Amino acid sequence: MTPNINEKDKLRIREIVQNFARKHSLWVLAYGTGCGAIEIPPTMTSRYDAERFGITGSATPRQADVLLITGYLSTKTLKRVIRTYEQMQAPKYVIGFGSCTINGGMYWDSYNTINALDRYIPVDVYINGCMPRPEAVIEGFIKLQNLIAEGKANGAEKYMENLEWYRENQKKIIHNWQMPDFNW
Amino acid sequence: MLEKENKLAEQIKKTFHSAEVKVMREKRISVQLRSNLIPPFLSYAKELLDFKHLAHMSCVDWLEDNEFELVFILWNYDEQIQIISKTRIPRDKAEFVSLKKFWIQAETYEREIHEMYGVDFEGNNRLGEFILEDWEGMPPMRRDFDTRKYSRETYFQRPGREDAKDVRETITKHSGEEVPDFAKNYTIRQ
Amino acid sequence: MREKETTLYLGPQHPGITGNMMVKLKVAGDTIVKAETHIGYLHRAFEKLMEQRTWTQSFPIVCRICVPEPDPNEENLARAIEEIEGREVPERAKYIRVIVLELARLASYQLWMGGQSGSMGLYTMPQWTVGDRDYILDLFEELTGGRVYHMYIWAGGVRRDLPEGFADKVLKVMDYLESRLPDYDRLLFENALFHKRAKGVGVIPKEKAIEWGVVGAPLRGCGIKHDVRIDEPYEVYDKLDFVVPTHEGGDVWSRAMVRRQEIEQSISIIRQAIEKMPGGDYYNKIPNPLTWRVPKGEAYVKTESARGEFGYYVVSDGSEKPRRVHVRGPAYVHGISLLEEVLKGANIADVSFIMNSLGTCPPEMER
Repeated sequence: MTPNINEKDKLRIREIVQNFARKHSLWVLAYGTGCGAIEIPPTMTSRYDAERFGITGSATPRQADVLLITGYLSTKTLKRVIRTYEQMQAPKYVIGFGSCTINGGMYWDSYNTINALDRYIPVDVYINGCMPRPEAVIEGFIKLQNLIAEGKANGAEKYMENLEWYRENQKKIIHNWQMPDFNW
Repeated sequence: MLEKENKLAEQIKKTFHSAEVKVMREKRISVQLRSNLIPPFLSYAKELLDFKHLAHMSCVDWLEDNEFELVFILWNYDEQIQIISKTRIPRDKAEFVSLKKFWIQAETYEREIHEMYGVDFEGNNRLGEFILEDWEGMPPMRRDFDTRKYSRETYFQRPGREDAKDVRETITKHSGEEVPDFAKNYTIRQ
Repeated sequence: MREKETTLYLGPQHPGITGNMMVKLKVAGDTIVKAETHIGYLHRAFEKLMEQRTWTQSFPIVCRICVPEPDPNEENLARAIEEIEGREVPERAKYIRVIVLELARLASYQLWMGGQSGSMGLYTMPQWTVGDRDYILDLFEELTGGRVYHMYIWAGGVRRDLPEGFADKVLKVMDYLESRLPDYDRLLFENALFHKRAKGVGVIPKEKAIEWGVVGAPLRGCGIKHDVRIDEPYEVYDKLDFVVPTHEGGDVWSRAMVRRQEIEQSISIIRQAIEKMPGGDYYNKIPNPLTWRVPKGEAYVKTESARGEFGYYVVSDGSEKPRRVHVRGPAYVHGISLLEEVLKGANIADVSFIMNSLGTCPPEMER
């Protein structure tokens, strides 16, 4: 007797294989948005080699999977980051790097930096520290890989469903809104 | 010991009678002038006395005197003396002349002082948005701009954890010990 | 037939730019006709924040101004406060400060070598130099507790004494770095492609260099011998024996040669400082930091960092918080007005090359 695999299980197997492929090839966009970007060259080069996990750099947003927000964001950069995030193709993930993305960090009372990142773009994994060591960065990526394998890293769908809520928060601090309605 | 600096101070006082020249220490002289004498003084220092390097240009807000103080710092590479020249301009009508024909980097300093303090530099046609984007409100470096209030109102603050408000309480609760004496006196400022 | 003029935006997200700034280029064919820089993406309002923090709380803020090399900033602010207050620093603390500053300079030069060759397409060099820089960061971690931001130098001395066996570790790392220099030479500095690419590119005319406000290695690359460590010696640089190299030409190649020779001088300074270090105190204790008031006064102090002359103008009005701290980094002039002059007539492929060679660092331009 041949085993009988029904449709639901076939879909589940396809998802497992897809997630396995996605999690082992994460391309990070080359965009150092804050001072945390100084620990990215040591992570990607020969000492703490991140390329053995499949993590490498990508030059343009259309070819990238992961947007690494390294540190604080000023309002001027936030406008560009939103546009870059919307230009990336799904599936895409966002990692918040450093304590400035969690609660504002050292610059909590500055008039130019935002304090909580996930009101403006959806965040999948946070890495805390000021600044995080390369080993902590790799641990953050492994946590993202585990989330992808379980199918829980769905920041992109959350963004598309709650677009009005995100837009309302974004337009509250970006006054001169000159961007297309959506970019994907 | 301070002969070079004293000689330079005498030379400046001969040409600019109303200047207050003070030798601060070795290699530092400070000159206080009226605001209309600064362009001739800087040109005299640059061409005649060889102070060719414009090291810095800054602005200090004296809110209690209702004045801005503009500071120009020059350096002479051969004599190795630094001149800190200062002047005061009124706060409600803050304008000055642009020095970009003397030094091209003065344009950058003036753009920043214009954006952060609101001082108008006549002759500099690149004043406008420099560091901040779409900023509506008063120039942010002035003393009467409250940045903490602005940040609290504009940006969403993430609320803190409920069990970590006062570290002393958390530590005593988890470890079962008393608060030591040296830690009893500090108050928490908001 | 003239080529058509278009506008290109070398925007904030670009793998070839050193940091987060935008350069708006007007190009005719492949030649740049006019360049305009736009900054402001990294503005954190440091100077406004420092007016609301006490003097000791300003030190963690100040070291985040320059990201690859944070120690000259802390040392500058500490020296400004000591000058206004008239506080003496013990001799041993000065020697320790010199060692920390020179280690930071070496780490910054390693990162510069990686950036300069990476913008040319030679990707082996960043793998080597960023990996070797990690040994220096290990030393920092043992001494101060943090790899990147140290917060070790403060007003009155340094925060803690050298641990046991630290001097031997430093000497071992110096020997290792010195043994790597022939490899760097063969790969980058004597490379025929680097010569062809770098000679005659990004030229600063010698008679205008001082007037345009050029400082640091670009000034020494024009043949003018000036360095804050010999013009106005601070800490114990007047007791140490070193040479300040210069090179004629004013182009990217001569600046690279100047920096290459300064690496050897830095290694020699560290070895001399370890040999001559006296015993004694490492800290002149300040009173209770929550109520410490610095008397009224002002000061302007300078340090030579790896990129040029760092200047701090500090004004105190007698209270426990600073009145005005204005930071002037070397990239403020190099990255805005000088870059717009030097880029005229260059190729598009050379923009990133020239920016790396001048040492533009946006975090310090906008604070």
